[in-house]
Amino acid sequence: MKPLFKFFAAFGWLSLLGHPATAAEPPSTDTPAIRQQLAQAILSSGAAQQKLLADLGATGSKLVGDVLSAWNRGGIYLYPAADGTPVPVLLEDAQDANGKARAIKISDGLVLKDAAGKELRFGDSELNTADTDMRLRSTLRQTVDTLALASPDPEVRGSAVTKLGYSQKPMYIPILQARLAKETDAAVRKAILEGIASLQLGDHDPQVQIAAVKQLEALGSIGNLENVQRLAADPRTDPAVVKAAKQAADSIQSHIWRVNFFGTIFRGVSLGSILLVVALGLAITFGLMGVINMAHGEMIAIGAYTSYVVQNLFGTGFAFAVNLPFSFMGKPLGFGLHLPGLNATGWLYQSYFLWAIPLSFFTAALAGLVLERTVIQFLYRRPLESLLATWGVSLVMQQLFRMVFGANNVQVNSPAWLLGHCTLNDVSFGYNRLFVIAFAILIVLGTWLLLTKTPLGLLIRAVMQNRAMASCMGVRTARVNMLTFAFGSGLAGLAGAFLSQIGNVGPSLGQSYIVDSFMTVVVGGVGSIIGTVYSALGIGTVDQVLQQLLGSPVLGKIIVLTGIILFLQWKPGGLFAMRGRSLD
Amino acid sequence: MKKNLLPYLALAAALHLASSARADDTVKVGILHSLSGTMAISETSLRDVLLYAFDEINAAGGIKVGGTAYKIQPVIVDGASNWPLFAEKAKQLLEEDKVAVTFGCWTSVSRKSVLPVFEKDNGLLFYPVQYEGEELSKNIFYTAEAVNQQATPAVDYLLAQGKKKFYLIGTDYVYPQTTDLILYKYLLLKGVPVENIGGGRRKDADGKVISAGKYVPFSYTDFQQIVAEIKQFTSSGDACVINTINGDSNVPFFKEIVSAGLSPSDCPVVSFSLAEDELRSMPTKDMVGELGCWTYFMSLPTPENAAFLKNWNAWLTTESYPGVIKEKRAVDSPMVLSYDGVNLWKEAVEKAGSFDVDKVRAVLESGDISFGGPGGKITMQKNHHATKNVYIGETKANGQFKILQTFDQVYGEPFMLKDLDEKLSKK
Repeated sequence: MKPLFKFFAAFGWLSLLGHPATAAEPPSTDTPAIRQQLAQAILSSGAAQQKLLADLGATGSKLVGDVLSAWNRGGIYLYPAADGTPVPVLLEDAQDANGKARAIKISDGLVLKDAAGKELRFGDSELNTADTDMRLRSTLRQTVDTLALASPDPEVRGSAVTKLGYSQKPMYIPILQARLAKETDAAVRKAILEGIASLQLGDHDPQVQIAAVKQLEALGSIGNLENVQRLAADPRTDPAVVKAAKQAADSIQSHIWRVNFFGTIFRGVSLGSILLVVALGLAITFGLMGVINMAHGEMIAIGAYTSYVVQNLFGTGFAFAVNLPFSFMGKPLGFGLHLPGLNATGWLYQSYFLWAIPLSFFTAALAGLVLERTVIQFLYRRPLESLLATWGVSLVMQQLFRMVFGANNVQVNSPAWLLGHCTLNDVSFGYNRLFVIAFAILIVLGTWLLLTKTPLGLLIRAVMQNRAMASCMGVRTARVNMLTFAFGSGLAGLAGAFLSQIGNVGPSLGQSYIVDSFMTVVVGGVGSIIGTVYSALGIGTVDQVLQQLLGSPVLGKIIVLTGIILFLQWKPGGLFAMRGRSLD
Repeated sequence: MKKNLLPYLALAAALHLASSARADDTVKVGILHSLSGTMAISETSLRDVLLYAFDEINAAGGIKVGGTAYKIQPVIVDGASNWPLFAEKAKQLLEEDKVAVTFGCWTSVSRKSVLPVFEKDNGLLFYPVQYEGEELSKNIFYTAEAVNQQATPAVDYLLAQGKKKFYLIGTDYVYPQTTDLILYKYLLLKGVPVENIGGGRRKDADGKVISAGKYVPFSYTDFQQIVAEIKQFTSSGDACVINTINGDSNVPFFKEIVSAGLSPSDCPVVSFSLAEDELRSMPTKDMVGELGCWTYFMSLPTPENAAFLKNWNAWLTTESYPGVIKEKRAVDSPMVLSYDGVNLWKEAVEKAGSFDVDKVRAVLESGDISFGGPGGKITMQKNHHATKNVYIGETKANGQFKILQTFDQVYGEPFMLKDLDEKLSKK
């Protein structure tokens, strides 16, 4: 277990390395002149237009980039002035009720007004667009990409570099080299080096080509594998270059293999962590307590819906109204609830998920408590009835979700800090995946501490091993049962909170995880928490490895399930067969 | 319960007819959609818009045939997301209720299930949902988008944007499989080399490609591996993803796309099964800039669309049909194509001067029947498909689309595979 923890810790540390902030480029000062030039460029044609665009590309102004990309997409309109000359304008994004927007003049950035000084508003189709043809569009795109090289956002720069680098147009080499001298962001630097080398592959000088191929090999440029292979296969290529290119292609291919290998392991661990988070609650309620709890999935859904409600409370508020399908004394019956929202923004809104996690635990634990008191406590000695009863409860709860939250899935937006990823040697680690791995470690640790280091844990273990004896010793078994079941349900709620970040939140959310949960617990060995941990990680990794090898998501799953069936024939008790109350 | 009431209703209707003037004549029209089960989420919207279309026609005086104005009387049956049941309900509509026309079906399998019933009883069905083509029944009119009215225009747009590599991914059933196979051949024909079409291929024993693209089952959730593959595929910066994933698998798919850092400016995803109605339950804030392609967008800035939306919302506040949800309604392409279908049928009936299926069909096949719908002019063709405008749009944070390009009046072509095969073999 220990080396595994170190492995996780390394990933956790990596996730802290984001993109370093880069100083913004100084804003261009001569905006009025640039605006005039832009308006001119839109109205001119042919060589004059190309010349103007080249000049504009050299300004490095963000305004030029915005206007040119709007033009490229048909977003620049021509307003016929009183004297018939066309005035290029841009329509604002904000539209009024009639779908009309204010027009901004390109030449001076002011709102277009009529002779009386009244603001003019237009719909998308009321004005003619400034036309573009294929050649102009490609010039525009290149100008925009060149401009994007100066963007303050490293991601925008990176993607512009990639576009230029793969354009196979050697004319961009000096532009990229100039940028390289100024560039500070490591990822963008690498992209620029790749881009320059990729463009140099087309050079006439074999020495330059060999240097470029070697550079690509050193950078492990996955995107250039095809270009290098093409170069090696081209009969016109110099033999020395062919040799270098073949070597580079092999080297890049083995790099890809390594990336896939580590990527697959990471994805396997992350899938395993999800299975673990989902199944841990069941390992308590089913594994330890022996209740075949078919409503486990709905406990997960409660957690997910709690996250949804918390998200809305941090946003615009949460309201629901349920109208019952019958009436009383002529009045329709129903109930509703309106909770005002905090209308939080920025970091406060982004932190909603941190509040949602504990709340999901408590709501689901509360639901588990109620379920235990009302249904399960009467069925401890009758597993089959508990199966049927909890299945019924699961149907009732799904219908409740439908009534309160609607039959459609609800939208849960992930906080920004869970959305990104970091890349190490081309293996990308999604923050949400790193998060679930850490989350799984934490809750396993928490559960382990609770069961082994607290008085309650001692009582739980005692009751689970031998209820009659524990009762004789003065343990209030009913209370321990209740708390244990609530704890198991709470863990399911935690799983739901996390699942809301990677998948759907809907009434049937629980149904998609119930089978996986039971599978994980049974394979691990009913009654063994550590067995559940091993089985979740094992199933997750095998699943991802098979997916990678077979290239098919379904076939991998089928093989995993077949493997599990065979495994259970061989070891019916699972990985860690335990003796406990459930097996008495 | 419903069935027991029918004779009384019929009796009441008969008494009513006998006592009133000819102006109150009615014509029965069937609505055949799943109002329960897994497809109900999508299909109930179509029932609602059909009821709206009927009310609108009735309020404007009904359908005028031979000097008589007929009011539309809807007969609603529930296919319950159960494909054999669709066939039974179709039989009931045609043989017991004797409806003049039926509007219905969403999934291709439900349409395939009712097709023999409509052919045997010589009924008339209008089908409104984007589908894979390769079908032409004399008893079905397809207002739906054919593949060349959604998938291939989207590919044309992406090619014009300079995209060179295409990754195909979809849910494993007939619509994505057929559409992706067509797109695979279409891309080859457009000169895209085979290694630039991602997602894998499956060949039959003779080495003929029978399936292209990556497929996942319904409700699949773990897209890590696939997105990692897409990420490598797109590392040269000129790739895009063609997404025919259906239903709620789209949420984990897009969340994975976002967390892998695949932004729409580098690698756009164009989805064929996500319209405004579906986007209501998607995390649209994370999907800004991804593409869609339909023959109608709610954000279309035409006066016809504005009027339609206004009347539809007004109808929602006043209607009293049971089960119609009034709040937070979105309108999307399948709904508008249902609405268009009703109006095309009305036009045809009035022109034919009869409700007789053969006469109406002859008029619809003439190519003269068109309707200025919310999505633009739609004209029924001889091959039972419709000529209409196709729009490319990009998703906005509010779940609407910003229209990027319009393809005017695209002719609906249901049989693309054979044609593409011929052209490819010549090439």
